[in-house]
Amino acid sequence: MSTDKNSEPAWLLVTRREVVSRITDKSFLFGTAFMVVLIAGFIGFTAWQDERTDRVTLAATPDAVAMATAIEEGAPQVDEKVEVTLLEVDDREAAETALTEDEADAWLHPVDGGWQLTSESSERGSLTDVAGVVVRQQVLSDNAAAAGTTVEALEAGSTVTTDFLRGDAEKAGVADAVGFVFVFLFYFAALVFGMQLASSVIEEKQSRIVEIIAAAIPLRHLLAGKVLGNTALAMIQLLVYLAVGLVGLSFTPYKSYVPALSGPTAWFIGFFLAGFIALACLWAVAGSLASRTEDLQSTSTPLTMLMLVMFFGGLSLDGRGQVIASFVPPVSAVVMPKRILAGGVEWWEPLLALGLLAAFAAVTVWIGERLYRRALLQTGGRVSLRQAWATAE
Amino acid sequence: MLEIRELTRRFGDNTAVDHVSFEVPVGQMTGFVGGNGAGKTTTMRMVMGVLGIDEGEVLWHGRPITRLDRRTFGYMPEERGLYPKQPILDQLVYIAQLKGLERVAARTQVTELLERFGLGERTKDHLEKLSLGNQQRVQIIASVLPRPAALILDEPFSGLDPRAVDSMVDLLREYTSDGIPVLFSSHQLDLVERLCDRLVVLSHGRRVAAGTVTELRDAGVPRFRLVLGGDAGWVRDQRGLEVLDLDGATALVEVHHDGAEQRLVAEATSRGDVHEFVRVRPALSEIYREATA
Repeated sequence: MSTDKNSEPAWLLVTRREVVSRITDKSFLFGTAFMVVLIAGFIGFTAWQDERTDRVTLAATPDAVAMATAIEEGAPQVDEKVEVTLLEVDDREAAETALTEDEADAWLHPVDGGWQLTSESSERGSLTDVAGVVVRQQVLSDNAAAAGTTVEALEAGSTVTTDFLRGDAEKAGVADAVGFVFVFLFYFAALVFGMQLASSVIEEKQSRIVEIIAAAIPLRHLLAGKVLGNTALAMIQLLVYLAVGLVGLSFTPYKSYVPALSGPTAWFIGFFLAGFIALACLWAVAGSLASRTEDLQSTSTPLTMLMLVMFFGGLSLDGRGQVIASFVPPVSAVVMPKRILAGGVEWWEPLLALGLLAAFAAVTVWIGERLYRRALLQTGGRVSLRQAWATAE
Repeated sequence: MLEIRELTRRFGDNTAVDHVSFEVPVGQMTGFVGGNGAGKTTTMRMVMGVLGIDEGEVLWHGRPITRLDRRTFGYMPEERGLYPKQPILDQLVYIAQLKGLERVAARTQVTELLERFGLGERTKDHLEKLSLGNQQRVQIIASVLPRPAALILDEPFSGLDPRAVDSMVDLLREYTSDGIPVLFSSHQLDLVERLCDRLVVLSHGRRVAAGTVTELRDAGVPRFRLVLGGDAGWVRDQRGLEVLDLDGATALVEVHHDGAEQRLVAEATSRGDVHEFVRVRPALSEIYREATA
């Protein structure tokens, strides 16, 4: 037998097996490819949606032709991507026929106290928006003239604008969207890889291969290898998704945001890493407490709850709550990157949050290791947390 | 030599293994028998370091066993299973590497063993694709990787078909003739009797018998069977003997005083023909039943 000198450390062997066996698994590859297509497709669709000109045909009976013409001419000033074509019809009946035969998208006609756009069964949002603005302008200026004044005089001093003392108002919308993506990616990865990790722990426990492994290497190495392997896989997948997302974004009108997003994205990767490791150990414990795959449902319930809290907390918290949560592990893993995105974060805040998260990860690794080691070799039914903690090895 | 000394393990109030001591000598096959819950698996798991020891110790070549020693042991746990969805070559190489074998050497050794067990063509197959018998063979290979310093096998024959039992037996004999101590547990007493040099009987966590098969069979009160030409009724009156069974010309006696059997033969020859006078050694199953009763 060869000596230990030239062989790899046990945890590295375990890590490699985890990565190789997963990466050669068709369902994993297919799932990743599917997500990539989905992300690219979504970005492509959004860009296309934004770029294309919306062409709508507006039917108008003689009593509405003047107003419809105003809409046709005024549309480009309201929204440059909307092009309205006027279709003159003789009467109500002809207008309804035009709608049902798809010759027109909407029919404009006066009603008591205003105007109405009638469509067949679904409205064209862009037309409604444009028509609303043009009709309002038109009627306002008519009414103003009748009252002997002007629209400008009437509207003077009535606008409300928004501004932030900290952060950038313009970026807020994009930050919200990207923040959602961050929270979702973390939730998704932690759940998918966590479940995978837990079930691979059960697989080993159930088949008792863990006894063969335990006789050969310290269980600490087995746990470390499994956690590192799954973390590596999750990181690879995350980096692929983020790269596809950012590259995709650079082909869209939003490309100007890409440089501004790379900083927060880098922070997110750091928070993801620490947060994932912290949770991965807990998932391994959930797996080791179960004795059969069927038990995982119950042993992992506290964790899935935690995931949901992180998901909804990450999405919904704002104001002071968000600031506090951005320092509390493991929720900080998603909340702090969101705050960084929104801007207005002091330089030390992410560092402190990351430090706390890393400390939390260290604690879960320590607790997780103890529980995992003790529960893993217990056979015969589900092991309770207390049993696992108190039991002798 | 592997020595188990006063090994004890408690689970709550239940003492699963109670000060059990025995030896597994080099180059010998030691059978470990006992009913369900007798403590065999718990003992083996303690020997392998998979389970903590409450009291007692395990010695290897006269000194307390270490993790590195155990790493060189072959171990087959009670319940079987490897990774169902991994090619058999890959997972066996993985196990050999965990036991400290370098990658290339591991590959060579695994390939050799797979060929020996007739699985040379199927190295890339996932374990779950193999028949149950072939899965057992893979399990056996996993337990003897790398060439072990000792073998601890928990019910290695359960679920094996007769052919697989034979190749397993051949493999074990090969190891013992190389001077490797083998400890295996089994419910199949006929197999234990056929294979084992030594035997350890456990009952309710205690060692109730231990020794070579001959020692155990000779250990009890000696019994003799006497077959005469005529009626054997007079045997009842002989001193120092207890008649266990009497049927016409045949008597089965237990000797309670040394020399009583010699007087019995002398008496029998003086009375007429003696067709048979033979020492009756109890079958292993009988010893087992008595010991665990």
